[in-house]
Amino acid sequence: MRHRISTFVVLACVLITTACSVEKPSEQAGDAAGAACGTGKEFLIGMSQANNAEPYRQVMNNDVTAAAKAVPGFKVVVSDAAQDNSKQVADVESFLTQKINLLIISPNEAKPLTAVVKKAYDQKIPVIVLDRKVEGDAYTAFIGGDNVAIGKAAGEYYAKTLLPSGGKVIEIAGLPGSTPAKERADGFRAGIAGNPKIEIVASQPGDWLREKGQSVADALLKAHPDVAAVYAHNDPMAEGAYLAAKAAGLETKIKFTGIDALPVPSGGIKAVEQGRLSATFQYATGGREAIDLAKKILVDCGKDVPRSTTLGTQQITKDNAAEVYTKLGGS
Amino acid sequence: MSEALVTMTGITKQFGGVVACRDVDFTIRAGEVHALLGENGAGKSTLMNVLSGVVTDHDGEITVAGTPVRFHRPADAQAAGIATIHQELDLVPGLSVAENLVLGREPRTRLRLLDRRAMLRTAREQLRQLGVDLDPRRPVGALRVGEQQLVEIARALSLDARVLVMDEPTAALADAEVRRLFATIEELRRRGVGIVYISHRMEEIEAIADRATVLRNGGVAGTVDPRTAGPGEIISLMVGRSVETLFGSANAKTGAPLLEVDDLTVRPRHRRPGRCEPAGATLTVRAGEIVGLAGLMGAGRTELLETLFGAGAKGRRSGSVRLDGVAYAPAAPRQALRRGVGFVPEDRRGSALVLGHATGRSIVLTALHRLTTAGIVRRRRERAAVAGKIAELAIKTPSANVPVGALSGGNQQKVVFARQLLAGPRLLLLDEPTRGVDIGAKAEIYRLLHRLADDGMGILLASSELPEPLGVCDRIVVLRAGRTVADLPAATTDAAGILAAAMGQHSRPTRESA
Amino acid sequence: MTIDEQTPAAGTVGLKASAACWLRRPRSRRELIDRLFAVQSLFALAVVFAVAIAASPTRNGENLFLSTGNLGNIVRAVSEIGIIAVGMTFVVLLGGIDLSVGAILGLSAVGTATLMVDSGLGILPSVLAVLAIGAAFGALQGYATARLGIQSFIVTLAGLQVARGLARIWSGGLGIPIAYGDGPKEAPPAFEILNGSFNGVVPVPAVLFLAIGVAAIVVLRTTAFARHVYAIGGNEKAARLSGVPVTRVKVAVFAIAGLLAAVAGVVHAGQLNQGSPNDGAGYELDAIAAVVIGGTALSGGSGSMGGTLAGALLLGILNNILALNNIDANVQLLIKGLVIVAAAALQKLHRTVA
Repeated sequence: MRHRISTFVVLACVLITTACSVEKPSEQAGDAAGAACGTGKEFLIGMSQANNAEPYRQVMNNDVTAAAKAVPGFKVVVSDAAQDNSKQVADVESFLTQKINLLIISPNEAKPLTAVVKKAYDQKIPVIVLDRKVEGDAYTAFIGGDNVAIGKAAGEYYAKTLLPSGGKVIEIAGLPGSTPAKERADGFRAGIAGNPKIEIVASQPGDWLREKGQSVADALLKAHPDVAAVYAHNDPMAEGAYLAAKAAGLETKIKFTGIDALPVPSGGIKAVEQGRLSATFQYATGGREAIDLAKKILVDCGKDVPRSTTLGTQQITKDNAAEVYTKLGGS
Repeated sequence: MSEALVTMTGITKQFGGVVACRDVDFTIRAGEVHALLGENGAGKSTLMNVLSGVVTDHDGEITVAGTPVRFHRPADAQAAGIATIHQELDLVPGLSVAENLVLGREPRTRLRLLDRRAMLRTAREQLRQLGVDLDPRRPVGALRVGEQQLVEIARALSLDARVLVMDEPTAALADAEVRRLFATIEELRRRGVGIVYISHRMEEIEAIADRATVLRNGGVAGTVDPRTAGPGEIISLMVGRSVETLFGSANAKTGAPLLEVDDLTVRPRHRRPGRCEPAGATLTVRAGEIVGLAGLMGAGRTELLETLFGAGAKGRRSGSVRLDGVAYAPAAPRQALRRGVGFVPEDRRGSALVLGHATGRSIVLTALHRLTTAGIVRRRRERAAVAGKIAELAIKTPSANVPVGALSGGNQQKVVFARQLLAGPRLLLLDEPTRGVDIGAKAEIYRLLHRLADDGMGILLASSELPEPLGVCDRIVVLRAGRTVADLPAATTDAAGILAAAMGQHSRPTRESA
Repeated sequence: MTIDEQTPAAGTVGLKASAACWLRRPRSRRELIDRLFAVQSLFALAVVFAVAIAASPTRNGENLFLSTGNLGNIVRAVSEIGIIAVGMTFVVLLGGIDLSVGAILGLSAVGTATLMVDSGLGILPSVLAVLAIGAAFGALQGYATARLGIQSFIVTLAGLQVARGLARIWSGGLGIPIAYGDGPKEAPPAFEILNGSFNGVVPVPAVLFLAIGVAAIVVLRTTAFARHVYAIGGNEKAARLSGVPVTRVKVAVFAIAGLLAAVAGVVHAGQLNQGSPNDGAGYELDAIAAVVIGGTALSGGSGSMGGTLAGALLLGILNNILALNNIDANVQLLIKGLVIVAAAALQKLHRTVA
């Protein structure tokens, strides 16, 4: 109620200050970025993460930071959009204000972030897109996994190693409508095609969540107590299914596999090492590969960086779990 | 006579410049029911607040069982065996009777868990001793008000109370419940508990009190034996001499009937305890006339005024109300205001004002539509209207922007009046318009009422302070349990006459059930 | 006790301080404190602004906080929250709360995208339809609160679920991308203006937000409607007895909140080129934070729109300066929490002192 006049004054100030800073032409931003590659320089790399709350993305951040530490002159700043597209746009914009030399972005969604990524790219800042793509071609490089290939690897593991003589399988899928869920399902079916005695008797979504995986498995195991294995689209759901089976006293009769293989104590590699899961398949974060690319662009002044890099997967079983865990930097 | 449990000597207490209690002596003996009487503001509440440790900075002395004591907080009084049964009961409605009885002292098993069996046993025993037949497993919220009261009494006794203060215990009770309460009081008397009994109901006091002390203007007007004294003597002690000059002169010239209420009865859709809806109210207010609305606490004065303003309980109504000869049944205050009826509610802070809002804004709230063009408030017209009313009613405020809460009670009340008058009413309904108002502002308000009546406005004034309607009004309508029981000309009646009608001394020998 | 003894508490004098009063030397420390508190949200905004300039990193001698476009970006980034907060201010002044605005934003973003892309409607019909839906949704909630006597917290908590559900059903659960062009399944390119800026520097959403804010300030200052909102928020019973049309005002206020949430939803769709049913989650809490930092009491009846605008801008500056300094995302949450508590404590302190 009081001092509205002052309100106007302050608001006016904000606007005027905004308008006054027009003088500087915007191509100035270019010199901060593309111009000066080479050794012995300082580089600021902005890492825009979609959602730190997902363990996979936290590991991605860790990989980027750890890899960058090994490159002299690299400094990485990480922002978290907390699953909010608008927030991620603002995050990238504040990176641009800071005049970062290179942008690594793991977009929350493709369409909403396309514009701001293009804005960065147009300012001659190299952009490395991780895990999820943006639309169009205004970026330098994309690094991501191949979920179809991972699903297929899992399927082939089932066909040849886990259930060579066949059996009933329950599938616990990811969030309905999400691309990885569809791809991991399709790949798996291609993989088990070689062994017609394997039968998928049920498929239900577990929404990527451990607790949902557990409750879904609870119900499915009641209906199909005779299944031989549970194929979950990620490790947490596989662990949830394991808990459900244990409650039903079936945990020794059924085999469980997951996907992701994060090198963290709560991740799938440890679960394999400790015998709860038979196998898991790595879905690489691409963090290290992104920094390798960044080094190529900024330090080595490389011109021909690969436009698209598809990360391979590896199968983790009890035999190699401990070794892979260490290799991936788990602690 | 038995020993004195509590003796209060020379109790004096001032609030600001106002003497609430002046040199009061009061004793409570074992096995005695001591009635405490007096008009509102006579000092009953203050005296009991001193006794229960709520008011601590008083002069005078209290002794309990012969030992001088000084209470610093209510817990001290409780520890000394003095318990108060308030009108608003202090029970947890969601818990059972037994759980309420042992609240804070729950019996435990060896595992430190609640011992339900011991709890129920204790509760049954406590209720039995009191002669109360009540299932201790029932939730308190499901009990009738009278039953809740008995639970509260049982709890007080389980805390070793020797003195029980009961503040208007029958206000919300039906007849059967009153009889049950009286039976309990008999039992308490037999057990040597001293009881202070506050009530306005003369017949109850005759029925159960051993002594009656009457307070007037903060001092003791007299102590009598109600069984021999009779209501007349007690009422004259309560009223004393009236202050004639305060009220100004009554006016004679009254015009055509403005408001005609005939046998108005409201049967509310949802009965709320403690409310007494109109049940056969009949009255007429003429233009230029000030009509008083008298009656005991809970007689339904406020409810009648609210009904006439469209703010009462929703429900079926019968009887007829006419305003200017045209049927009048407002469903909301807005409709009443549109018909030219204004209302000054009893609870100024709760129902009329936002204390943090500026005085000027509070004044124009009701008449805002007259000061706007296309929804925009015309500041100049607003300022003029506010300045006009501040001057007319002599509202003492440094500026129209000062929050209402910073004004004195009298000036706050004038702000409420100003708001109503700015809307230009022909009939003004006033509920206790001078409560909490100092004597100077009171006189100003009375002068204002006479001036408004002279200008042809009709005024219906509800008041619980008997001298007020006697001094200000032309006629006084007396309500009892929502029904009109008397319509008396102010010039020829007195406080005793009103009280007698209000208590049912003349018209009806027994109390009707509420 | 006579009337003459009654003088208002000294503290109230400061409340009427006008611009002219500010030039006068304060008569006491109390008065000085009161004057500062009278503009506390603006004062806080100015302080945060100054601190931000000081704390901003520099690059090549240029203050990044004040650098090209950054201030515009700040206002743009808070524009959706700010527009919602303007509506929320009305609701909070009324003594209510509206938890549904974030979900209405999501619903409106979906509606804008669907109507323009899938239904092929023009910009104006699409936007008007979406705004009508938002206003109607709010009005319905206001009616439920007023007539059924249910607390607005409950009504709008239910409304949040309903709006979110509607958004998911309407969109099929997935974001609807907006492509621009003249072909089928393409939105009119003019809609892209929401992603643009004047002069290339002042973003359109920022201007829209400030324009709505200024309009709301004018409404709160001048209209009878605003007086009624304050009266109901201060004491609903008193307002009713004073002839204030309580139901009508409540319905209007919640309709305004819904309408402005829908405006924010349209802006959201325009800025992100997508209508996603899950967007706007938690925005209601940010808007409430802006209102509270702006000094509006959650109990209703007192507060100002200018304060809310200042509160929203303050949050924006805070987000920006924390990001520019690369404060860890988790630590940012702590700092924002502390700022909200500090703002609330400041008001409490003032009320206790006065």
